[in-house]
Amino acid sequence: MELPLLPPEIADAQRDFPGALSACADLDALMRLKGAFVGREGSHAQRLMELLKAAPKEHKRELGATVNALKNQWEEALKGRQADLELERQRGAALAHAWDPDLPPPLPPMGALHPLNRLMDRMVDVFRPLGYHVEEGPEAETEGHNFDGLNIPQDHPARGSADTFYFKEQDGLLLRTHTSPVQVRVLRRIGARGADGVSELERSGGIRFLAPGRVYRKDEIDPTHSPMFHQVEGMIVGKGIGMHHLKGTLAYAMKALFGPGADVRFRPSYFPFVEPGAEMDVRCPLCGGSGCRVCKGSGWVELLGAGLLHPNILTMAGIDPGVWSGFAFGMGVERTAMMVSQTPDLRLFFENDQRFLRTMGGLD
Amino acid sequence: MLIEINALTNELPALAGTGTVELCERLAGLGFPVDGVETEGETTVLEVDVTANRGDAQSHRGLARDLAAKLGAQLSPLTHPVLGEGEPLVPIRLEAGDAAPFYATAVMELGKAGSTPGPVRALLAAMGAGAKGLPAVDASNELLHRYGHPTHAFDADKLHGGITVRWARAGETLVTLDGVERKLTEKDLLIADDAGPIGLAGTMGGDATKVSARTKRVLLESAYFDARTVRAMAHRHGLHTDASARYGRGADPGFARVARDILAQRLQAWCGARLQSAWSVGAVPEPGPEIPLSWAMLDRVAGYAIDHEVALAFLRSLGCSVREDGAGLLARSPSWRHDLALPDDLAEEVLRLGGYEAIPAALPPLDCAPVALAPDYLKRRKLALRLANLGFLQTVTLGFTDPMEAKDGHGIGDRPELRTLRNPLGEDYSVMRGTLLRDLARVARLNLERGAREVRFFEIAPVFEAHPGQPLRETWSLGLVWGGEVGGEDPLSTGRRMGQPEGQSHLIGVLKAIGVGDADIHAFGRWQIASWESGAKEPAGWQFEIPLAAIPDEPERIIPRFVPFSRFPVVERDLSLLVDLGQPYDALREALAAALAAAPLQDLKCVDVFRHKSLPRGRQAWLMRLRFQAMDRTLTGEEVDGWMVQALAAAKSLGAERRS
Repeated sequence: MELPLLPPEIADAQRDFPGALSACADLDALMRLKGAFVGREGSHAQRLMELLKAAPKEHKRELGATVNALKNQWEEALKGRQADLELERQRGAALAHAWDPDLPPPLPPMGALHPLNRLMDRMVDVFRPLGYHVEEGPEAETEGHNFDGLNIPQDHPARGSADTFYFKEQDGLLLRTHTSPVQVRVLRRIGARGADGVSELERSGGIRFLAPGRVYRKDEIDPTHSPMFHQVEGMIVGKGIGMHHLKGTLAYAMKALFGPGADVRFRPSYFPFVEPGAEMDVRCPLCGGSGCRVCKGSGWVELLGAGLLHPNILTMAGIDPGVWSGFAFGMGVERTAMMVSQTPDLRLFFENDQRFLRTMGGLD
Repeated sequence: MLIEINALTNELPALAGTGTVELCERLAGLGFPVDGVETEGETTVLEVDVTANRGDAQSHRGLARDLAAKLGAQLSPLTHPVLGEGEPLVPIRLEAGDAAPFYATAVMELGKAGSTPGPVRALLAAMGAGAKGLPAVDASNELLHRYGHPTHAFDADKLHGGITVRWARAGETLVTLDGVERKLTEKDLLIADDAGPIGLAGTMGGDATKVSARTKRVLLESAYFDARTVRAMAHRHGLHTDASARYGRGADPGFARVARDILAQRLQAWCGARLQSAWSVGAVPEPGPEIPLSWAMLDRVAGYAIDHEVALAFLRSLGCSVREDGAGLLARSPSWRHDLALPDDLAEEVLRLGGYEAIPAALPPLDCAPVALAPDYLKRRKLALRLANLGFLQTVTLGFTDPMEAKDGHGIGDRPELRTLRNPLGEDYSVMRGTLLRDLARVARLNLERGAREVRFFEIAPVFEAHPGQPLRETWSLGLVWGGEVGGEDPLSTGRRMGQPEGQSHLIGVLKAIGVGDADIHAFGRWQIASWESGAKEPAGWQFEIPLAAIPDEPERIIPRFVPFSRFPVVERDLSLLVDLGQPYDALREALAAALAAAPLQDLKCVDVFRHKSLPRGRQAWLMRLRFQAMDRTLTGEEVDGWMVQALAAAKSLGAERRS
């Protein structure tokens, strides 16, 4: 625009206006610029209005058009810039209040139950609806409970000091080698007759329980052995208990523990405290039965030993095997835990590295 | 035990064409699971797991007998001439009673040439030991693996006088075939000649009378020795041989003569040996009494009705002589089955041959009274879950410790020798622990070394207490460790090292969260500054151990009793106090609570601690928050103002002042 009649300071301002406008970083700066150009007092627009008033009549028309055009141009540009800055401010405010939802929350670290305890708890929970409760016994046991009461012969190699830990200075006190002495303790308790000549067993009509716990055998520590490990023992005493009850109970429990598709087999075996004896194997989870290192090529992994209570066990506890019968089973916790989790080394369960405990443990 | 499939099929031709997998399944179904399969060329060897009660099954023929009974097939007949018994060439005396009731023998003159046939050498190689190239030795070993009856051959020309089977005398020694000199005890059953011991009965022969390449005449031994005696002897001398494994689990006395005859036949056939005389002394033990099994019991054990004829046939096929008797059967076990003594044993045999897969699956009727879970067990489970929910990881440690534990004063009780094992794995594992704290400190240290920033662990396990004049006692204990950087595992916290007073108060907080009262914390608890970083200025963490008995039981209710709560507004007021450094918090809180005993005070606690150089020297600021709420009305501002004045007065009585 040609502005031959404009004073030089206005011409300078007009020349600098675009730069000053874009230099406004915020609304405050823009308001100051707005005041300088189009404000009511002392602004360039004000000055132009004064010039217009004072201009000779013949120039007024031309100058008026120029002044209006300038004012309109400034106001338009300021309005546009204001809208931009307001939008920018809103965006900034929104960002300042925004929180990236993917940032980690300030929750405390999770704890966990030990995987072996989880498995034992799960066993109890599986058997609870079948009427089983929990019985426990000491880890320091007598030979009477650990061996004699279980029909284990006096010369059985398991009694030797190469297999079983014995305490010093206390004859016959040992670290129990299985949870089966709990059977002996419970049978003696429920078989004992009170002053009224009636036993707890006769009063209750039967008993069924699990005995989870720590057991000890004299094995050096290696990837598959530990001098301390866990077992879960189960026992039932009642009338008319047979192998079909044992098979049905174990089949139910294995489905509950390993899923409805668990492929198990039930086969004859031998333990001194049961007759008939049985073992339950599960199809090798590593190779699926084709044979591998874990199942030693047989396709099956031994899961638990079981059987009907040997009549001698009942008789020794004062219970008439002609009236009462029952079954018992025992399962290695570590062995089962390793199998289902495919943990390669037993020692991991006792090392307690928190990375292992966090991934293998849980809160149920 | 090793089984070669071709040799097994020799005993039971019906197995021909049976695949290895099918054979393994059949054996497992009879109670003989296969632990390993090795195939080399035409030879497949199975590693069969034979249970300790089945001495009779420790041979090819033994397993074939069970398979034959299962399949309803016939064993190959044993073809051997029966030797006519004649005059004893040397006197044989049995002086050990029932431990050695029968002894069959023969003396043979060996031919000049002769060798063990190839198939027998192959079988012995498959059995792991290999042929010795001495026909008398190889034939004896072949018999053992094929038929399960151990025999022995002495060099007859090295014997002095007659043979006596007797108990050893104290001080006697014998150099066995393996070249080891054995010191004998009066419990050892010996084969002796007039010069002394020449063999441990049923276990291993003596070195001096062994058969060699120069042997001209052999005296064969095929006897019956008591299982328990041989088992104990093998154990005592650490001498677990093929022979002791079979005698030790019960050999077949009825087979002793047969084994001698087969052995003699082998030697005649392999090296032209000539029989000089065969004879025997003693008597084969009488079979045991008849065992009754009622049909009712069989049905109860099986859970299904087994056809009586089938049950009788099964037992007959196993070699029992069986007859029906009223409501059941009577069976006499064959001479090779020492494990059959009770009706239950017979029932198992019937089920075994019927197959455990035929047993139906049923749940026993739920006819007994329900029993609640024991409070102690429930307490442990709930406690573990609570601590896990508080961010602690449960550990399981072995429970062994070393004698230093007692010296460090950590264990409970003062007779640690009662907790000491007679036969430990080593010194570090020689004592049963009296505390969980050492194991927890070790676990914490290990995890910090492996890069953990914060460690929080707990263990619930029995510890052993040994007090003078009392038997060893086990008590369930809770141990807990918290160390490293507090908040070190929290992603948004920088984490800070746990200071000493802070650590202790944190653990007290945990104990209160699990219901332990102040008094019990001090009465039963055992503190330890976790000192796993030597030379560190600050302790790395804190540990605590408390007997489970000191943790209160939860009331045994399905749903706790209803506790009413107010529906009127709550009024919350803060009281900012300047108190002395060292002011016991509990004392201040109790003073305020006591002053407000008449007010409807719902809660009172410190919500902020402020320590700064801008505060008067020796003082700190505590922000106490008080909550008031009445059950029956809305509180007025005036009455709450009044209580706050009382609260401030109580605080002032302990030297505190209002912080402006």
